[in-house]
Amino acid sequence: MGLLTRDFETAPCLVEVSHCFDSLHAHVKFLNGAVINPGDEVQVQGPPVMAPYGEVVREERIARISRASKIEQLWTRMTGDFEFMELCEFSFSEEVSV
Amino acid sequence: MKDLTHSADAATVEEALAASNHQGIVDSEGATALAMQNTLLTPRFYTTDFDELDAIDVSSVREDWDTLIAQMKSDPNKGHFKKNEDWDHIDWENMEPRLKAEFIDFLVSSCTAEFSGCVLYKEMKRRGNNEDIVTLFQLMARDEARHAGFINDALREAGIAVNLGFLTQKKKYTYFRPKFIYYATYLSEKIGYARYITIYRHLEKNPEHRFHPIFKWFKEWCNDEFSHGEAFALLMKTDPKLTQSFTNKLWIKFFLTAVYSTMYVRDHQRPAFHAALGVDPDWYAHEVFTKTSEISKQVFPLTLDIDNPRWERGLKKLQRANADLAEAKASGNVFKRLGAMARAATAFVGLYTIPAVKHDVPVSTRLEPAY
Repeated sequence: MGLLTRDFETAPCLVEVSHCFDSLHAHVKFLNGAVINPGDEVQVQGPPVMAPYGEVVREERIARISRASKIEQLWTRMTGDFEFMELCEFSFSEEVSV
Repeated sequence: MKDLTHSADAATVEEALAASNHQGIVDSEGATALAMQNTLLTPRFYTTDFDELDAIDVSSVREDWDTLIAQMKSDPNKGHFKKNEDWDHIDWENMEPRLKAEFIDFLVSSCTAEFSGCVLYKEMKRRGNNEDIVTLFQLMARDEARHAGFINDALREAGIAVNLGFLTQKKKYTYFRPKFIYYATYLSEKIGYARYITIYRHLEKNPEHRFHPIFKWFKEWCNDEFSHGEAFALLMKTDPKLTQSFTNKLWIKFFLTAVYSTMYVRDHQRPAFHAALGVDPDWYAHEVFTKTSEISKQVFPLTLDIDNPRWERGLKKLQRANADLAEAKASGNVFKRLGAMARAATAFVGLYTIPAVKHDVPVSTRLEPAY
Protein backbone atom coordinates (compact mmCIF):
# COMPACT_ATOMS: atom_id res chain seq x y z
CA MET A 1 0.00 0.00 0.00
CA GLY A 2 1.38 3.36 -0.99
CA LEU A 3 1.33 6.45 1.16
CA LEU A 4 -0.61 8.37 -1.46
CA THR A 5 -1.40 5.87 -4.18
CA ARG A 6 -4.12 3.29 -4.48
CA ASP A 7 -3.41 -0.34 -5.30
CA PHE A 8 -5.82 -2.61 -7.09
CA GLU A 9 -6.53 -6.31 -6.88
CA THR A 10 -9.28 -8.70 -7.82
CA ALA A 11 -10.90 -11.37 -5.70
CA PRO A 12 -13.45 -14.07 -6.45
CA CYS A 13 -16.58 -13.54 -4.43
CA LEU A 14 -20.01 -14.92 -3.74
CA VAL A 15 -22.81 -12.42 -4.10
CA GLU A 16 -26.11 -13.16 -2.41
CA VAL A 17 -29.07 -10.93 -3.08
CA SER A 18 -32.37 -11.76 -1.43
CA HIS A 19 -35.45 -9.91 -2.58
CA CYS A 20 -37.96 -11.75 -0.44
CA PHE A 21 -40.72 -10.79 1.89
CA ASP A 22 -38.89 -12.56 4.71
CA SER A 23 -35.55 -11.04 4.03
CA LEU A 24 -34.25 -8.13 1.99
CA HIS A 25 -30.50 -8.28 1.95
CA ALA A 26 -27.45 -8.17 -0.29
CA HIS A 27 -24.04 -9.44 0.74
CA VAL A 28 -20.65 -10.04 -0.79
CA LYS A 29 -18.35 -12.72 0.58
CA PHE A 30 -14.76 -12.95 -0.63
CA LEU A 31 -13.76 -16.49 -1.46
CA ASN A 32 -10.01 -16.00 -1.22
CA GLY A 33 -10.00 -14.57 2.29
CA ALA A 34 -9.41 -10.99 1.12
CA VAL A 35 -9.83 -8.53 3.98
CA ILE A 36 -11.32 -5.07 3.52
CA ASN A 37 -9.78 -2.16 5.38
CA PRO A 38 -11.09 1.35 6.04
CA GLY A 39 -11.28 3.45 2.88
CA ASP A 40 -11.01 0.52 0.48
CA GLU A 41 -13.46 0.42 -2.39
CA VAL A 42 -15.11 -2.70 -3.69
CA GLN A 43 -16.89 -3.14 -6.96
CA VAL A 44 -18.45 -6.39 -8.06
CA GLN A 45 -17.76 -6.84 -11.76
CA GLY A 46 -20.39 -7.52 -14.37
CA PRO A 47 -24.00 -6.48 -14.81
CA PRO A 48 -26.12 -5.64 -11.74
CA VAL A 49 -27.17 -8.70 -9.79
CA MET A 50 -30.93 -8.49 -10.14
CA ALA A 51 -33.02 -10.65 -7.88
CA PRO A 52 -36.65 -10.67 -8.95
CA TYR A 53 -39.17 -10.30 -6.19
CA GLY A 54 -39.55 -13.44 -4.09
CA GLU A 55 -36.19 -14.88 -5.02
CA VAL A 56 -32.68 -15.24 -3.70
CA VAL A 57 -29.90 -15.01 -6.26
CA ARG A 58 -26.44 -16.39 -5.53
CA GLU A 59 -23.70 -15.82 -8.05
CA GLU A 60 -19.96 -16.20 -8.11
CA ARG A 61 -18.40 -13.04 -9.44
CA ILE A 62 -15.10 -11.24 -9.47
CA ALA A 63 -14.74 -8.16 -7.29
CA ARG A 64 -12.26 -5.41 -7.91
CA ILE A 65 -10.79 -4.08 -4.70
CA SER A 66 -9.21 -0.67 -4.75
CA ARG A 67 -6.97 -0.37 -1.72
CA ALA A 68 -6.97 2.98 0.01
CA SER A 69 -3.65 4.77 0.33
CA LYS A 70 -2.15 4.96 3.81
CA ILE A 71 -3.27 8.57 4.14
CA GLU A 72 -6.81 7.81 3.03
CA GLN A 73 -7.02 4.87 5.41
CA LEU A 74 -5.99 7.09 8.31
CA TRP A 75 -8.47 9.74 7.25
CA THR A 76 -11.31 7.20 7.04
CA ARG A 77 -10.39 5.86 10.49
CA MET A 78 -10.56 9.36 11.91
CA THR A 79 -13.75 10.51 10.23
CA GLY A 80 -15.79 7.41 9.41
CA ASP A 81 -17.41 7.42 12.83
CA PHE A 82 -19.41 10.49 11.98
CA GLU A 83 -21.46 8.64 9.43
CA PHE A 84 -23.21 6.74 12.18
CA MET A 85 -26.48 8.60 11.69
CA GLU A 86 -27.15 6.38 8.71
CA LEU A 87 -28.24 3.68 11.13
CA CYS A 88 -31.10 5.73 12.46
CA GLU A 89 -34.44 5.30 10.80
CA PHE A 90 -34.80 9.10 10.64
CA SER A 91 -31.42 9.59 8.98
CA PHE A 92 -31.17 12.23 6.33
CA SER A 93 -32.04 11.70 2.74
CA GLU A 94 -31.57 14.33 0.10
CA GLU A 95 -35.07 14.47 -1.28
CA VAL A 96 -37.14 16.33 1.25
CA SER A 97 -36.74 19.85 2.48
CA VAL A 98 -39.12 22.32 4.05
CA MET B 1 -41.64 -13.30 -21.95
CA LYS B 2 -44.39 -11.71 -19.89
CA ASP B 3 -45.43 -8.17 -20.62
CA LEU B 4 -44.60 -6.30 -17.43
CA THR B 5 -45.18 -2.75 -16.38
CA HIS B 6 -42.60 -2.82 -13.64
CA SER B 7 -39.25 -4.55 -13.20
CA ALA B 8 -40.10 -5.30 -9.56
CA ASP B 9 -42.58 -7.91 -10.74
CA ALA B 10 -40.13 -9.61 -13.05
CA ALA B 11 -39.18 -13.23 -12.68
CA THR B 12 -35.94 -13.03 -14.64
CA VAL B 13 -33.33 -10.40 -15.38
CA GLU B 14 -34.43 -10.31 -19.01
CA GLU B 15 -38.01 -9.64 -17.99
CA ALA B 16 -36.93 -6.94 -15.59
CA LEU B 17 -34.98 -5.16 -18.30
CA ALA B 18 -37.90 -5.49 -20.68
CA ALA B 19 -40.41 -4.03 -18.23
CA SER B 20 -41.81 -0.64 -19.13
CA ASN B 21 -39.92 1.21 -16.42
CA HIS B 22 -36.73 0.14 -18.19
CA GLN B 23 -37.76 1.23 -21.63
CA GLY B 24 -35.28 3.15 -23.67
CA ILE B 25 -32.23 1.51 -22.20
CA VAL B 26 -29.91 0.25 -24.83
CA ASP B 27 -26.60 -0.22 -23.09
CA SER B 28 -25.66 -1.83 -19.81
CA GLU B 29 -24.31 1.45 -18.44
CA GLY B 30 -27.71 3.06 -18.93
CA ALA B 31 -29.42 0.08 -17.36
CA THR B 32 -27.29 0.40 -14.25
CA ALA B 33 -27.92 4.12 -13.97
CA LEU B 34 -31.65 3.58 -14.16
CA ALA B 35 -31.53 0.65 -11.78
CA MET B 36 -29.78 2.87 -9.27
CA GLN B 37 -32.42 5.53 -9.68
CA ASN B 38 -35.03 3.00 -8.80
CA THR B 39 -32.98 1.54 -6.06
CA LEU B 40 -33.17 4.36 -3.57
CA LEU B 41 -31.24 2.00 -1.34
CA THR B 42 -27.70 3.18 -0.84
CA PRO B 43 -26.51 1.63 2.39
CA ARG B 44 -23.09 2.32 3.78
CA PHE B 45 -20.48 -0.37 4.24
CA TYR B 46 -18.45 -0.60 7.36
CA THR B 47 -15.32 -2.02 8.84
CA THR B 48 -14.27 -1.86 12.43
CA ASP B 49 -11.57 -3.15 14.73
CA PHE B 50 -12.56 -6.81 14.64
CA ASP B 51 -9.83 -7.87 17.10
CA GLU B 52 -11.29 -5.53 19.68
CA LEU B 53 -14.75 -6.98 19.10
CA ASP B 54 -13.40 -10.50 19.48
CA ALA B 55 -11.82 -9.55 22.79
CA ILE B 56 -15.21 -8.86 24.40
CA ASP B 57 -15.87 -11.17 27.31
CA VAL B 58 -19.52 -11.38 28.32
CA SER B 59 -18.89 -13.60 31.37
CA SER B 60 -19.63 -10.74 33.77
CA VAL B 61 -23.17 -10.52 32.36
CA ARG B 62 -23.44 -14.17 31.33
CA GLU B 63 -26.82 -14.94 32.86
CA ASP B 64 -28.58 -11.95 31.31
CA TRP B 65 -26.75 -12.50 28.05
CA ASP B 66 -27.77 -16.16 27.71
CA THR B 67 -31.39 -15.33 28.52
CA LEU B 68 -31.48 -12.60 25.90
CA ILE B 69 -29.82 -14.71 23.21
CA ALA B 70 -32.15 -17.64 23.96
CA GLN B 71 -35.11 -15.30 23.61
CA MET B 72 -33.83 -13.97 20.30
CA LYS B 73 -33.11 -17.48 19.05
CA SER B 74 -36.65 -18.59 19.88
CA ASP B 75 -37.66 -15.89 17.39
CA PRO B 76 -40.97 -14.79 18.93
CA ASN B 77 -41.69 -12.54 15.95
CA LYS B 78 -41.22 -15.19 13.30
CA GLY B 79 -44.39 -15.18 11.27
CA HIS B 80 -45.43 -11.80 12.63
CA PHE B 81 -44.29 -9.87 9.60
CA LYS B 82 -46.87 -11.29 7.27
CA LYS B 83 -49.71 -9.46 5.67
CA ASN B 84 -53.03 -10.73 6.97
CA GLU B 85 -56.61 -9.47 6.88
CA ASP B 86 -55.49 -6.46 8.94
CA TRP B 87 -53.55 -5.21 5.95
CA ASP B 88 -56.10 -2.78 4.54
CA HIS B 89 -56.12 -1.69 0.96
CA ILE B 90 -54.47 1.66 0.39
CA ASP B 91 -55.51 3.99 -2.36
CA TRP B 92 -52.03 5.25 -3.25
CA GLU B 93 -53.28 6.88 -6.43
CA ASN B 94 -55.51 9.30 -4.58
CA MET B 95 -53.30 9.96 -1.59
CA GLU B 96 -52.60 13.64 -1.16
CA PRO B 97 -49.32 14.17 -3.10
CA ARG B 98 -47.40 15.90 -0.31
CA LEU B 99 -48.38 13.20 2.18
CA LYS B 100 -47.54 10.50 -0.32
CA ALA B 101 -44.08 11.99 -0.93
CA GLU B 102 -43.32 12.31 2.77
CA PHE B 103 -44.68 8.89 3.62
CA ILE B 104 -42.65 7.24 0.87
CA ASP B 105 -39.60 9.13 2.10
CA PHE B 106 -40.34 7.79 5.58
CA LEU B 107 -40.58 4.22 4.28
CA VAL B 108 -37.45 4.53 2.19
CA SER B 109 -35.33 5.95 4.99
CA SER B 110 -36.66 3.27 7.34
CA CYS B 111 -35.83 0.59 4.80
CA THR B 112 -32.35 2.01 4.21
CA ALA B 113 -31.65 2.14 7.95
CA GLU B 114 -32.78 -1.46 8.44
CA PHE B 115 -30.72 -2.44 5.44
CA SER B 116 -27.62 -0.59 6.65
CA GLY B 117 -27.99 -2.26 10.05
CA CYS B 118 -28.22 -5.60 8.34
CA VAL B 119 -25.06 -4.96 6.31
CA LEU B 120 -23.15 -3.84 9.41
CA TYR B 121 -24.26 -6.75 11.57
CA LYS B 122 -23.60 -9.28 8.83
CA GLU B 123 -20.09 -7.93 8.33
CA MET B 124 -19.40 -8.24 12.04
CA LYS B 125 -20.84 -11.72 12.11
CA ARG B 126 -18.69 -12.75 9.18
CA ARG B 127 -15.41 -11.34 10.40
CA GLY B 128 -15.71 -12.03 14.10
CA ASN B 129 -14.40 -15.14 15.84
CA ASN B 130 -15.97 -14.68 19.26
CA GLU B 131 -18.87 -17.13 19.42
CA ASP B 132 -21.08 -14.92 21.63
CA ILE B 133 -20.63 -11.89 19.44
CA VAL B 134 -21.04 -13.76 16.18
CA THR B 135 -24.31 -15.32 17.38
CA LEU B 136 -25.71 -11.97 18.44
CA PHE B 137 -24.89 -10.25 15.17
CA GLN B 138 -26.31 -13.11 13.12
CA LEU B 139 -29.62 -12.83 14.99
CA MET B 140 -29.76 -9.08 14.63
CA ALA B 141 -28.96 -9.25 10.90
CA ARG B 142 -31.90 -11.66 10.54
CA ASP B 143 -34.32 -9.22 12.18
CA GLU B 144 -33.12 -6.20 10.22
CA ALA B 145 -33.38 -8.05 6.90
CA ARG B 146 -36.89 -9.13 7.85
CA HIS B 147 -37.95 -5.58 8.67
CA ALA B 148 -36.40 -4.32 5.43
CA GLY B 149 -38.36 -6.97 3.52
CA PHE B 150 -41.58 -5.92 5.16
CA ILE B 151 -41.09 -2.23 4.34
CA ASN B 152 -40.04 -3.18 0.84
CA ASP B 153 -43.37 -4.85 0.38
CA ALA B 154 -45.23 -1.73 1.46
CA LEU B 155 -43.14 0.24 -1.03
CA ARG B 156 -43.94 -2.18 -3.83
CA GLU B 157 -47.62 -1.55 -3.27
CA ALA B 158 -46.90 2.11 -3.77
CA GLY B 159 -45.19 1.29 -7.06
CA ILE B 160 -41.67 1.87 -5.78
CA ALA B 161 -39.16 -0.74 -6.85
CA VAL B 162 -36.33 -1.36 -4.47
CA ASN B 163 -33.51 -2.73 -6.50
CA LEU B 164 -30.46 -4.21 -4.85
CA GLY B 165 -28.15 -3.75 -7.80
CA PHE B 166 -25.86 -1.41 -5.89
CA LEU B 167 -23.26 -4.10 -5.32
CA THR B 168 -21.97 -3.64 -8.83
CA GLN B 169 -21.45 0.05 -8.10
CA LYS B 170 -18.21 1.09 -6.50
CA LYS B 171 -18.71 1.23 -2.77
CA LYS B 172 -16.36 2.55 -0.19
CA TYR B 173 -15.93 0.99 3.22
CA THR B 174 -16.05 3.43 6.06
CA TYR B 175 -14.82 2.89 9.59
CA PHE B 176 -16.52 2.75 12.97
CA ARG B 177 -14.64 2.39 16.21
CA PRO B 178 -16.23 -0.49 18.18
CA LYS B 179 -17.26 1.77 21.04
CA PHE B 180 -18.97 4.13 18.62
CA ILE B 181 -20.84 1.17 17.19
CA TYR B 182 -22.11 0.44 20.69
CA TYR B 183 -23.18 4.01 21.44
CA ALA B 184 -24.70 4.67 18.03
CA THR B 185 -26.46 1.38 17.52
CA TYR B 186 -27.65 1.21 21.12
CA LEU B 187 -29.21 4.62 20.75
CA SER B 188 -30.60 4.03 17.28
CA GLU B 189 -32.27 0.81 18.44
CA LYS B 190 -33.70 2.35 21.61
CA ILE B 191 -34.86 5.56 20.01
CA GLY B 192 -36.33 3.43 17.20
CA TYR B 193 -38.30 1.55 19.83
CA ALA B 194 -39.50 4.78 21.44
CA ARG B 195 -40.52 6.25 18.08
CA TYR B 196 -42.47 3.22 16.91
CA ILE B 197 -44.20 2.56 20.21
CA THR B 198 -45.21 6.22 20.59
CA ILE B 199 -46.87 6.18 17.18
CA TYR B 200 -48.43 2.79 17.87
CA ARG B 201 -49.96 3.89 21.20
CA HIS B 202 -51.13 7.16 19.70
CA LEU B 203 -52.90 5.33 16.87
CA GLU B 204 -54.41 2.85 19.28
CA LYS B 205 -56.22 5.79 20.85
CA ASN B 206 -56.84 7.59 17.55
CA PRO B 207 -57.40 4.88 14.93
CA GLU B 208 -58.95 7.37 12.51
CA HIS B 209 -55.43 8.71 11.88
CA ARG B 210 -54.03 5.33 10.86
CA PHE B 211 -53.71 6.04 7.16
CA HIS B 212 -51.66 2.96 6.39
CA PRO B 213 -51.81 -0.58 7.82
CA ILE B 214 -48.04 -0.81 8.39
CA PHE B 215 -48.49 1.08 11.68
CA LYS B 216 -50.40 -1.91 13.08
CA TRP B 217 -47.15 -3.90 12.95
CA PHE B 218 -45.11 -1.35 14.87
CA LYS B 219 -45.47 -2.98 18.29
CA GLU B 220 -43.77 -6.29 17.53
CA TRP B 221 -41.38 -4.53 15.24
CA CYS B 222 -40.18 -2.22 17.94
CA ASN B 223 -39.85 -5.10 20.38
CA ASP B 224 -37.10 -6.41 18.11
CA GLU B 225 -35.43 -3.00 18.26
CA PHE B 226 -35.76 -3.10 22.02
CA SER B 227 -33.98 -6.47 22.32
CA HIS B 228 -31.17 -5.34 20.05
CA GLY B 229 -30.68 -2.34 22.31
CA GLU B 230 -30.61 -4.66 25.31
CA ALA B 231 -27.77 -6.63 23.75
CA PHE B 232 -25.71 -3.47 23.25
CA ALA B 233 -26.45 -2.37 26.81
CA LEU B 234 -25.02 -5.67 28.05
CA LEU B 235 -21.99 -5.33 25.78
CA MET B 236 -21.26 -1.88 27.23
CA LYS B 237 -21.68 -3.29 30.71
CA THR B 238 -18.80 -5.74 30.13
CA ASP B 239 -16.31 -2.87 30.16
CA PRO B 240 -17.13 -0.14 32.73
CA LYS B 241 -14.67 2.27 31.09
CA LEU B 242 -16.99 2.52 28.10
CA THR B 243 -19.59 4.39 30.10
CA GLN B 244 -17.69 5.73 33.09
CA SER B 245 -14.47 7.35 31.85
CA PHE B 246 -14.46 11.14 31.51
CA THR B 247 -13.83 11.11 27.74
CA ASN B 248 -16.41 8.45 27.07
CA LYS B 249 -19.04 10.38 29.01
CA LEU B 250 -18.38 13.29 26.67
CA TRP B 251 -18.83 10.94 23.71
CA ILE B 252 -22.07 9.59 25.13
CA LYS B 253 -23.36 13.12 25.51
CA PHE B 254 -22.31 13.86 21.96
CA PHE B 255 -24.16 10.83 20.59
CA LEU B 256 -27.27 11.65 22.60
CA THR B 257 -27.27 15.24 21.38
CA ALA B 258 -26.58 14.28 17.77
CA VAL B 259 -29.23 11.58 17.62
CA TYR B 260 -31.93 13.61 19.37
CA SER B 261 -31.34 16.77 17.41
CA THR B 262 -31.17 14.95 14.06
CA MET B 263 -34.46 13.31 14.83
CA TYR B 264 -36.02 16.67 15.70
CA VAL B 265 -34.83 18.35 12.51
CA ARG B 266 -35.76 15.41 10.34
CA ASP B 267 -39.26 15.02 11.73
CA HIS B 268 -39.96 18.69 11.22
CA GLN B 269 -39.26 18.15 7.54
CA ARG B 270 -42.33 15.94 7.30
CA PRO B 271 -45.23 18.20 8.28
CA ALA B 272 -47.86 16.46 6.12
CA PHE B 273 -46.91 13.04 7.44
CA HIS B 274 -47.26 14.14 11.05
CA ALA B 275 -50.46 16.06 10.36
CA ALA B 276 -51.99 12.93 8.80
CA LEU B 277 -51.03 10.95 11.89
CA GLY B 278 -52.54 13.68 14.05
CA VAL B 279 -49.19 14.12 15.79
CA ASP B 280 -47.59 17.42 16.76
CA PRO B 281 -43.87 16.96 15.97
CA ASP B 282 -42.86 18.96 19.07
CA TRP B 283 -44.99 16.80 21.34
CA TYR B 284 -43.75 13.68 19.56
CA ALA B 285 -40.08 14.66 19.94
CA HIS B 286 -40.48 15.37 23.64
CA GLU B 287 -42.33 12.09 24.17
CA VAL B 288 -39.67 10.08 22.33
CA PHE B 289 -36.78 11.85 24.12
CA THR B 290 -38.42 11.23 27.50
CA LYS B 291 -38.85 7.52 26.83
CA THR B 292 -35.38 7.10 25.33
CA SER B 293 -33.77 8.96 28.24
CA GLU B 294 -35.63 6.83 30.77
CA ILE B 295 -34.52 3.63 29.04
CA SER B 296 -30.94 4.75 28.50
CA LYS B 297 -30.47 5.22 32.24
CA GLN B 298 -29.98 1.46 32.26
CA VAL B 299 -26.44 1.96 31.01
CA PHE B 300 -25.59 5.64 30.43
CA PRO B 301 -24.61 7.61 33.54
CA LEU B 302 -26.13 10.80 32.12
CA THR B 303 -29.21 11.98 30.28
CA LEU B 304 -29.81 15.23 28.42
CA ASP B 305 -31.73 17.94 30.23
CA ILE B 306 -34.59 18.05 27.75
CA ASP B 307 -36.70 20.22 30.06
CA ASN B 308 -34.10 22.98 30.13
CA PRO B 309 -35.52 25.99 28.19
CA ARG B 310 -32.25 26.14 26.22
CA TRP B 311 -33.00 22.69 24.79
CA GLU B 312 -36.21 23.60 22.96
CA ARG B 313 -34.76 26.95 21.84
CA GLY B 314 -31.60 25.29 20.54
CA LEU B 315 -33.55 22.68 18.59
CA LYS B 316 -35.64 25.37 16.94
CA LYS B 317 -32.51 27.31 15.96
CA LEU B 318 -30.96 24.17 14.53
CA GLN B 319 -34.12 23.40 12.63
CA ARG B 320 -34.27 26.88 11.09
CA ALA B 321 -30.56 26.84 10.20
CA ASN B 322 -31.06 23.49 8.55
CA ALA B 323 -34.04 24.65 6.51
CA ASP B 324 -32.01 27.68 5.36
CA LEU B 325 -29.12 25.41 4.51
CA ALA B 326 -31.34 23.25 2.30
CA GLU B 327 -32.66 26.37 0.60
CA ALA B 328 -29.15 27.78 0.08
CA LYS B 329 -27.99 24.47 -1.36
CA ALA B 330 -30.88 24.47 -3.79
CA SER B 331 -30.28 28.05 -4.89
CA GLY B 332 -26.49 27.70 -4.95
CA ASN B 333 -25.98 30.72 -2.70
CA VAL B 334 -22.56 30.05 -1.15
CA PHE B 335 -22.66 32.85 1.45
CA LYS B 336 -26.07 31.90 2.67
CA ARG B 337 -24.91 28.32 2.82
CA LEU B 338 -21.85 29.13 4.93
CA GLY B 339 -23.96 31.32 7.20
CA ALA B 340 -26.52 28.58 7.71
CA MET B 341 -23.78 26.05 8.44
CA ALA B 342 -22.24 28.34 11.02
CA ARG B 343 -25.63 28.85 12.66
CA ALA B 344 -26.27 25.11 12.71
CA ALA B 345 -22.87 24.48 14.30
CA THR B 346 -23.47 27.18 16.92
CA ALA B 347 -26.90 25.77 17.70
CA PHE B 348 -25.42 22.30 18.10
CA VAL B 349 -22.69 23.54 20.43
CA GLY B 350 -25.39 25.36 22.39
CA LEU B 351 -27.31 22.11 22.81
CA TYR B 352 -24.20 20.13 23.67
CA THR B 353 -23.16 22.53 26.41
CA ILE B 354 -26.45 22.33 28.35
CA PRO B 355 -25.39 20.62 31.60
CA ALA B 356 -26.39 16.95 31.56
CA VAL B 357 -28.39 15.23 34.28
CA LYS B 358 -26.18 12.76 36.10
CA HIS B 359 -27.42 9.64 37.81
CA ASP B 360 -26.32 6.25 39.05
CA VAL B 361 -26.55 3.29 36.75
CA PRO B 362 -28.39 0.26 38.22
CA VAL B 363 -26.45 -2.93 38.90
CA SER B 364 -28.81 -5.01 36.84
CA THR B 365 -29.06 -3.78 33.26
CA ARG B 366 -31.91 -5.75 31.72
CA LEU B 367 -35.23 -4.07 30.92
CA GLU B 368 -38.42 -5.23 29.26
CA PRO B 369 -40.46 -3.08 26.85
CA ALA B 370 -42.87 -1.21 29.11
CA TYR B 371 -44.43 1.58 27.06
